[in-house]
Formats: sequence, C-alpha cells, structure tokens
Amino acid sequence: MLESTFQVLVLVWVVLTALALFCLALSIGSHWGDWGRLLGPYFSGERRAHAFMREMLTPEEYQQVTTCGYLDVTSPSTPDRTYRIPGAGGLVHVYEHGHAIMDLCLQPVDVLPEGDVVVMHKLMILGNEDEYLMKANRFAPGIITLRRGFL
Amino acid sequence: MGMLRVMSRRGDDRVVWDLEKADVGELDAVAAVQEAERIFAAERERGATAFKVETGKAPERIDVFDKKAEQIVLVPRVVGG
Repeated sequence: MLESTFQVLVLVWVVLTALALFCLALSIGSHWGDWGRLLGPYFSGERRAHAFMREMLTPEEYQQVTTCGYLDVTSPSTPDRTYRIPGAGGLVHVYEHGHAIMDLCLQPVDVLPEGDVVVMHKLMILGNEDEYLMKANRFAPGIITLRRGFL
Repeated sequence: MGMLRVMSRRGDDRVVWDLEKADVGELDAVAAVQEAERIFAAERERGATAFKVETGKAPERIDVFDKKAEQIVLVPRVVGG
C-alpha cells in the first residue's frame, strides 16, 4: 500500500516536472525569439557596415582601427594636422605637430553602425574638410569624455 | 560598373549599374541608372552629402549624380553633437 502511494506520488511529480519544463521551454523560446527579432537587424547592419568599412579603408587603415581602436586621417589642407577618429563612437581628436588642439563632435542625424561612422568621418575630412569643420562642434582637448553609446 | 551606396542603420543599401549596357540602351541597365539617380536626388533632398570614390584617388564631394563614377557614397545629414 505504502509502496503504491509512493509510486503514484513519483508519477505525479514526474508529470508536473515535465509540464513545468515544457512551459519554461516555451517561455524561453518566445523570449529569445523576441530578442532575435529585435537584435537581428542590428547585428546584420553592424556586420555589413564592418564589411563596408573594410572595403573603404586601406589595409593599413583597417589594421589601425582593429588593433588601436581608432583611425588617423591626415588633413588634406594642413599636412601637420591629424584627425583621430574613434572606431567605436565618440569625439574626434585633432592633433597638430603631435599636440592635441581640439576635439570635434559631429554625428549623423540617422543612427549609423560604427563602421559606417568611421567611413563617414574619413570621407568628410578628405572630401569636404571645410564643411566638416564648420558643422562639427569644437571642444578644448580632453575636457569632455563621451562613453561609447552616448553619441 | 557603377555603384551607389547609401549609408543607413542597416549598413549600406546599394544600387549597381552597368554603364556600357546603359549607354547602348539596355533596359535593365538604363532602369538601374535611373533608379540610382532618383535615390541620389531623394537623399540629397533629405540633406545627405554625396562623395565620389574612385580607386587610388581622394574622395570628392559631388552635387550632381555622375553615372560614370566608379562609386558614389551618400552620407546622411550630419549635425554637430
């Protein structure tokens, strides 16, 4: 009698556990499905922008971005001036004769992946430096620190 | 071959055309050039800046669509942050 009661209890416990696991699996599946739907385009955009950046930069420039985290672009009008473009968003640091002279803040109105932003800065500096400087907000070097994701 | 690339949150959208085929009037190629020109105009209207990018040359800002360009990149409107 005691043995059969124990067997029934074990059976009920197994059924309830299986039911709980089933519900949990459904819940997690839905949860990850939502995240996948939300983040899928983001990762896809970042991947494409990274490929685009690799295509638009020289091998040396690409290596600099991946190893140092920034891209140095020499000013087409002032050879002693260098723009240091961060690879992960933030202020562009401007150096002349190796000394920081100002920080620049310029951002696209539409959100762009990081790789696209690097290419955007490079194109604007090399192809339209005057307008780039005119549109960017200028700050004294080092007084503002923008953390990634806040630009 | 020419290519128009529009930067966006999805990475970049692109239209490719074959200039030689467009010049001889091949319909698909002509349509691709027209589509690229339409996108160029629409994005410029929204404040985008266009750059002609050619291998071995510095990028050049352009205001008019150039179907002979190797590649045109459209950067969305930018503002000081």
